[in-house]
Amino acid sequence: MGRYIVRRLIYVVVVVLAVTLLAFVIFFVLPSQDPAVAFAGRNPTADQIEQIREDLGLDKPVPVQYGLYVKRLVTGDEYGWPGLGFSYHTRAPIKDEVSKRLSITLQIAIGGAILWLILGVSIGMLSALKRRTWYDRAAMGFALLGVSAPVFWLGLISLYLFWQKWELLPGTGYVSFSESPKQWFLHMILPWSVLALLFAAVYARVVRGNMIDTMSEDYIRTARAKGLGERQVVTRHAMRAGLSPIITLLGIDLALLIGNTVVTETVFNMPGLGNYILVSTDAGDLPAVLAVVVIASLAVAILALVADVVHALLDPRIRLR
Amino acid sequence: MRRRWLTRSALLALGCAAVLAVAACGGDDDDSADTSGGGGAANDDVAAVVDALGGSAEFGTPEQGGTFRIENTDFALFDAFDPTGEYFGSDWTIYSNLMLRTLVSYNFSTAEEGGNDLVPDIATEIPEPTDGGKTYTFTLKDGIKFGPPVNRAITSKDIKYAIERTAVNKAALGSYSNYYRPIVGIEDMEAGKAKTASGIETPDDKTIVFKLTKPAGDFPYALAMPASSPIPQEVAKCHPQRGEYGRYVIVTGPYMTEGSDKLDVSSCGAQKPISGFNPNTGLKLVRNPNYDPSTDDTSIRQSYPDRFEIGVNTNLDNIFDKIERGELEGSFETPPNATLKRYLQDESIRDRLRINAGDRMWYMYMNLTTPPFDDVHVRRAMNLAMDLEGIQRAWGGPVQGATPTHVLPQSMIRLDDYYPFQQPPFSGDVAAAKEEMKQSKYDTDQDGVCDAPECKGVIHGNRNFAPWSNQTAVIEQSASQIGVELDSRELSRSAIQIATGEPKRKMQTSSGTGWGKDYADPSTFMVLFDGRNIQPEGNNNQALVGLTAAKAKDVGADIPASGVPPSVDADIDACTALLGQERTDCWTTLDKKLTEEVVPWIPLMDATAIDLLGPAVTRYGFDQFGTEMALAHMAVDPSLQK
Repeated sequence: MGRYIVRRLIYVVVVVLAVTLLAFVIFFVLPSQDPAVAFAGRNPTADQIEQIREDLGLDKPVPVQYGLYVKRLVTGDEYGWPGLGFSYHTRAPIKDEVSKRLSITLQIAIGGAILWLILGVSIGMLSALKRRTWYDRAAMGFALLGVSAPVFWLGLISLYLFWQKWELLPGTGYVSFSESPKQWFLHMILPWSVLALLFAAVYARVVRGNMIDTMSEDYIRTARAKGLGERQVVTRHAMRAGLSPIITLLGIDLALLIGNTVVTETVFNMPGLGNYILVSTDAGDLPAVLAVVVIASLAVAILALVADVVHALLDPRIRLR
Repeated sequence: MRRRWLTRSALLALGCAAVLAVAACGGDDDDSADTSGGGGAANDDVAAVVDALGGSAEFGTPEQGGTFRIENTDFALFDAFDPTGEYFGSDWTIYSNLMLRTLVSYNFSTAEEGGNDLVPDIATEIPEPTDGGKTYTFTLKDGIKFGPPVNRAITSKDIKYAIERTAVNKAALGSYSNYYRPIVGIEDMEAGKAKTASGIETPDDKTIVFKLTKPAGDFPYALAMPASSPIPQEVAKCHPQRGEYGRYVIVTGPYMTEGSDKLDVSSCGAQKPISGFNPNTGLKLVRNPNYDPSTDDTSIRQSYPDRFEIGVNTNLDNIFDKIERGELEGSFETPPNATLKRYLQDESIRDRLRINAGDRMWYMYMNLTTPPFDDVHVRRAMNLAMDLEGIQRAWGGPVQGATPTHVLPQSMIRLDDYYPFQQPPFSGDVAAAKEEMKQSKYDTDQDGVCDAPECKGVIHGNRNFAPWSNQTAVIEQSASQIGVELDSRELSRSAIQIATGEPKRKMQTSSGTGWGKDYADPSTFMVLFDGRNIQPEGNNNQALVGLTAAKAKDVGADIPASGVPPSVDADIDACTALLGQERTDCWTTLDKKLTEEVVPWIPLMDATAIDLLGPAVTRYGFDQFGTEMALAHMAVDPSLQK
C-alpha cells in the first residue's frame, strides 16, 4: 500500500507538470490575445508595448518563462507558497484570491455532495430494493430528469420560483458564515440543491445498478439462509459492496467540481473558483487562469488517489499494488 | 476606454419589437407610414421615443440619504483602480462624481445640458491661457482637504505630484499620459532624463502654473481627468508599482472608500489595502467627513445618497431582475434584449429606461493601402451602397444608436441635415453608388460594378458575436451590389483587435471596430487619422491615413502603386493649436474633409448609452464625460428599496 501511494504521488506530480505545461502553452504561447498589447491601452507606442512585455516577463524565451513559472510554483514567490504570481487584472497576488475563492467553491461542492449523497443513495437503494414498482419507475424518471436538465436551466428556474415568484429564498450572491450563519445557509440552499439534483440523479442510477447486482450475489443468499433479517442483509452485507464504487465516483466528482462550478457560480453569483476562471478568461488575466487550472488538476489527481485508497480499504476484494 | 459593451444576447429582434411597441401606443402610424415610407417612418417613431428618454429625470422628490446599489458583471479595471492609469469610463464616473476632485470638472450631465463644458472644481476659475496659449495659471480654492486618514489640506504640489506620476509610473503606460505631454519637461521625465517637470510650477500652495511646449487648446480637458486629481505623496510613494495605489486611493470628493479611516499611513509597511474595495467583489463608499460642500457646487455634485455599493454579479440577467424588483438601483451594463423590449413596450415603466449619447462610433474602416480601397471612388461607392438602415436594425434599432453621416459622433460635432452620401432612411443608394464606381479604375467597363480581380475575395473582418455578427450579411449584400465581393472572417474580439491592429497583416477592411472619446474635444478621435500615430502593433489608425513610405517600412505595410495615402496630419496640427469657436470650426471642417475626401471609413453606428433604473431611484442624471449614469446626481428613496 505504501509503495502504491508513493508511486501514485509521483504520478500526481507528473500529471500536474504535464497539465501546467499544456496550460502554459495554451495560455502563453498560443494566446488569443497578446497580454502586452491588451494591457498597453488604446493608443500605445511600440516602446510602451515593449516596456509592458518586459514588466510582465514576456520578453524572455518561452522555455525560460515556463521554467520560472514552475520554479515559483514549487518554491514560492514574494507572495508566499505556492507561487501563483500576481493578477494582470487586479495587480494583486493570485494566491490570496484563489484561497478565498477555493473556500467558497469547497463550501458549494461539499454541501452539494452531502445533499446529493443523501438523495442519490437513498433513492438508488430504495429503487433497487423495490424493483419494478411504481416507486422504482418514478425514481428512475427523476434520475433521467436530473441528468438531462442543464445546470444553468435548473439554476434559472429555481431562482425564478424560489426568489422571484415565491420569495422564499434570497436571490444571488454569497454571504460568509462569519457575517451571518443564517444568510450563509439561505444563500447556499439553491446552489447546493441544483448541484445535488444533477448529481443525485447519476448516483441514484449507479447505486440502483450496483445494489441490484450485489443483492443477487451468493453471499447475500447465504446471509439470508443463515436467517438474517432483510434489514441486516442490506445494511451489513449489501451496502458495503454495493456502495463502495460511490466512493471513487464521489472523489472524482468533488475534484472535478473544484474547477467546474463555472455555471453554478455564475448563475448564483458565487465568487468561487469557477467564477474566477470565467472573469479571468474574459479579462485576459492569464496567470489567474493558469492558477485555477493548476489547482483544479492538483485536486483531481489527489482526490482520485484518495478515492482509490479509501475504496481499497472499504472493499477487501481490491488490492493495491 | 468604455466599459459599455452591448449585451451578448442577440439584439436582432429588438428594433422590430420597438417599432411594434411604438405602433401599439402611437396615434398616426398609418399616416406616417404612408408619407415616409415603411421602415424609415417606423424608425423615426422609435427614434422619437428614444429621444424622449434622454437627459436627467426626476421620479418624485429627491432627498438626502439611503444607499445607492449598483452591480456589474465585473469591476472594469485597466489599472487596478489606480487613478494614474485607470482608463474605463465607469471608473472615471466613480472617481469624478464621487471620489476625486480635479482643477476643472463637468456638471455631470448630458451634452445638451452642458455636460461637455468644463467648470471650475478645485480651481477658483478656469483661466484664459497666456503666453500665446502656452501658459495656464490656476488658483486653488480654500477648504479642500484629503479624506481620512490623510486629513490635510490639498496643495498645488499634490496636483504636480499626480501629473508627474503619469510620466514615471508604469500605471500610465498606454493609458492617457499623452494628454500631459504638452507640459514642458513631461517627456523628459518619461525618458528618464528629468526627475521633475519644469513646466509645472507651484509658487505657493494655492497656485499652480502649467507651461506648455506649444499651444494646446484641449489642455484644460486633461486637467479634468482623474489622473490629475491631487494625490498625497506620503501614501502613494509606498505604491510605485503599476496599479498598486488603487487599493489605497485617498479621496478629495464627497465619498471615500469604506475603511479609509482605518488605513495606517504611519509607514509604508503599515499600509494594508482599504477594506471597502476589492477589485473582484466591488467597492463600498461612505461619506467623506472632510468634504465641505461649500467648496463644491450642487450643479456638479448633489451627493444625495449616504452610501454607494458597487458590486460584482456575473449573472447579467439577474442584475436586471434585481433592478426591476428594487433590490438594486442600476448597473453600468447594457440591459438584455428581453428587458429592453419590455420597458420600451410598457409605457408605465418606460421612463425607467434612459437612453443617451454614448460618444462611441462603430465603423467599417477601409485600408487605404490595399486594393480596391486605395481608390477613393471605391470608398465613396461603398459609403453610398451600404444599407445603414439594415445595419441599425441588425443592432437592435434606434435604441442602440443613430445612423451616422460623418466620422465624429454627433454629440461632439453636430452636423444637422448633413448627408454627404445617402439621404434618410439610409437604406443604400445603389444608383449613386454605381455612378461613383464608374469613375474607379477597378470598374474597367464602367458599368458601375467593380469587375477587377481586386474586388473579389476582399478580406472583411468582424466580431463573431452579436450585434456585430448580425451586420455581416447586410454589409456583404450591400458591397456585392457594386461588385465588391467580401470574404468575411468573423473572429473573437481580441483576434480582431490583433488582426486590425497590425498593419503588416494587411487586413483590407473590418466592421468590428469602434472608438469612444476620452473627453469632449474632437482631438481624442483624430488619433485615428494621424499618420504619425501608426504603430506596428495595437495600431488604431487602421485605414492607414497619412502613412508615409518610411513609416510603411517600419510597420510592414505597402505603399500602393497609386501613391501614398492622403494625410491630414497638418490639419490636425492646425486645429490643435486653436481655441474656442475657431477650434470647433476647424475640427468641423476636418470632420467633413475626412468624411467626403479621405473617406477612410463607413461610419456604421453612433452608439447610445442605456441605463435601466430601479423603482427606488428618485433622481437620474447622465454623465456625458464617463458616459454612465451621473452618480453625483442620483437619489434614492430607501422606503422603495427591497
